[in-house]
Amino acid sequence: MLRKEYNDLLTQTDPGTSMGDMFRQYWVPALLASELAENDCDPVRVKLLGERLIAFRDTEGRYGLMDEFCAHRGVSLWFGRNEEGGLRCPYHGWKYDHTGQCIEVPSESAESGFCQKVKLRSYPLIKVGDVLWTHMGSEENRPPEPAWEFANLPPEQTYTSKRWQECNWLQAMEGGIDSSHVSFLHSGSLKTDPLFKGAKGNQYNQNDKKPVFEVVESDGGLYIGARRMAEDDHYYWRITPWVMPSFTMVPPRGDHPVHGHFWIPIDDENCWAWSFDYHPTRALTDKERQAMIDGYGVHNQYVPGTFRPRQNKDNDYLMDREAQRRGETYSGIWGIAMQDASLQESMGPIVDRTKENLVSTDNGIIMARHRLRKACEALRDKGIQPPGLVPEHQQVRSAARVLPPDQPFKDAMKDDLTVRPGVKQTSV
Amino acid sequence: MMDLKEVFFDPNHPTLLGSCARAATAEEARFRVQYPNSRTRSSRIFALDAGAAEAMYAITEDPWNGAHFLTLVDRGPVDPATTDARDLPLAHPDGTSADLTEETDGADVVVLLATSGDNEGAAEVIAREAFHRHIMCAGLALGSGKSDASVDRVVNSMRRFATVLVVARDNDYIPAMLTALRA
Ligand code: FES
Ligand SMILES: [Fe+2]
Repeated sequence: MLRKEYNDLLTQTDPGTSMGDMFRQYWVPALLASELAENDCDPVRVKLLGERLIAFRDTEGRYGLMDEFCAHRGVSLWFGRNEEGGLRCPYHGWKYDHTGQCIEVPSESAESGFCQKVKLRSYPLIKVGDVLWTHMGSEENRPPEPAWEFANLPPEQTYTSKRWQECNWLQAMEGGIDSSHVSFLHSGSLKTDPLFKGAKGNQYNQNDKKPVFEVVESDGGLYIGARRMAEDDHYYWRITPWVMPSFTMVPPRGDHPVHGHFWIPIDDENCWAWSFDYHPTRALTDKERQAMIDGYGVHNQYVPGTFRPRQNKDNDYLMDREAQRRGETYSGIWGIAMQDASLQESMGPIVDRTKENLVSTDNGIIMARHRLRKACEALRDKGIQPPGLVPEHQQVRSAARVLPPDQPFKDAMKDDLTVRPGVKQTSV
Repeated sequence: MMDLKEVFFDPNHPTLLGSCARAATAEEARFRVQYPNSRTRSSRIFALDAGAAEAMYAITEDPWNGAHFLTLVDRGPVDPATTDARDLPLAHPDGTSADLTEETDGADVVVLLATSGDNEGAAEVIAREAFHRHIMCAGLALGSGKSDASVDRVVNSMRRFATVLVVARDNDYIPAMLTALRA
């Protein structure tokens, strides 16, 4: 269980909250680059950390992310005209550039310089990989650009999607580090999902349903190791890294692409579940890419034209009791991503953690909350920058490997858990 | 592609909010029953060395839910092959001696705390007792200010026995974990 005061501390991210300030230290994914595919394309509404913003790409290809509402009388700039190097409010024609600076107030003479005095709050928006990232904190503390492996590989080696999840970011993220649910909730999908099935490691998963866990702190967050029996008294290890505040990776299976997530607050009751897949040393095959587009693996299908999953709470996630009975899916919900999301959303928008009954195998979650709380308090009370901002903390990989029983994974797998350009992921 | 029958929400046949997945709102969360959903657990926390005992004593006064805090009395290395559960020298915080079999009788969770790898033998005796009684055994290696090699020794001393092993940098993880586990 978690005391209410700490639950509030960790789950609230609006401006002025402690966790909100902490999230504002990081570059966070804001949009898929494909949402602003060309110059002067349609502007996009973006809500992040409880702030309503508008994103656009101007005539010269510069990205802007700023206050959604016109400074004049508060019209949403989503209705704006994206033209000639700026976004123009359709009501009275005020125009803003990509930094939020007002560059034209048609009613006033240009010589008066009035428009100089008007500026919307704006944040930088940069393209790294197929993602547009923003930093919503102060400019003095702007960290180095995102160094995550998935975002720094050639485009043919990666695929990224995002989906709207209707609950607080923390309970979504906790699913990403809770490796003990995999043997249950995803057991059906391990056998059938084209992006998971067929790996030797899956057999260890199926044969030993009682993994032993080891949680080790790293500079940027945690490594959560799950150990199962393999042949000859060896251990099959699966290691899940977590980097603060909300980056998680799934341990790989065979030569399948590696995947992971970012869990980014929209507001306190909604978040973006970002899901990426990449292969460190080869292009994704057409088949793999198509499977991702079709919603397999960590991805999902959508209500057309939106980022809302096709299976959602309005249709009971297309619950299929027969598939549940047959064991095809353990919970009756199709797809790994929605198996997680359906359960996490069912907890309510912000789960009441005072009612939980955690057990020892929940130590990954307990430790992540503890680290978040400490980092959050250190930033609030002493101005100390949190872990996870620097490239070294971001150069992590998940890994799976069979080891002799006397070798601690954190030493034996040190290299496997670090990004090595041009070297394949370590996987079984 | 998946083959599933679409059952999108039909506005002409509204479902009572509380009887479908749409009930996952803050308003509906208010109706979660307010009765307790568990009874008090019996947790037994064992400090295996002086460093661990010091870290543990810093928090034994806090209001816990009946957790018992025990320390291993230092009488030299424990040989697990010849040491019976009843013979393991243990003490309560007030200095009175404690009996491992009595302490683990009816316990729900056992936590081993260690800052050195010196008491592998005692860890084995406690873990063995927990195993026979089907009690979950968690090991917590405290590593503040220590070299990797010495932390490894601590971890290795507990690895064979613990169902979950945590390597924590700071002692403040002890109360955080015990609170989370309702100790
Ligand atoms: S079994 Fe874990 S939430 Fe129910
Ligand atoms: Fe999952």
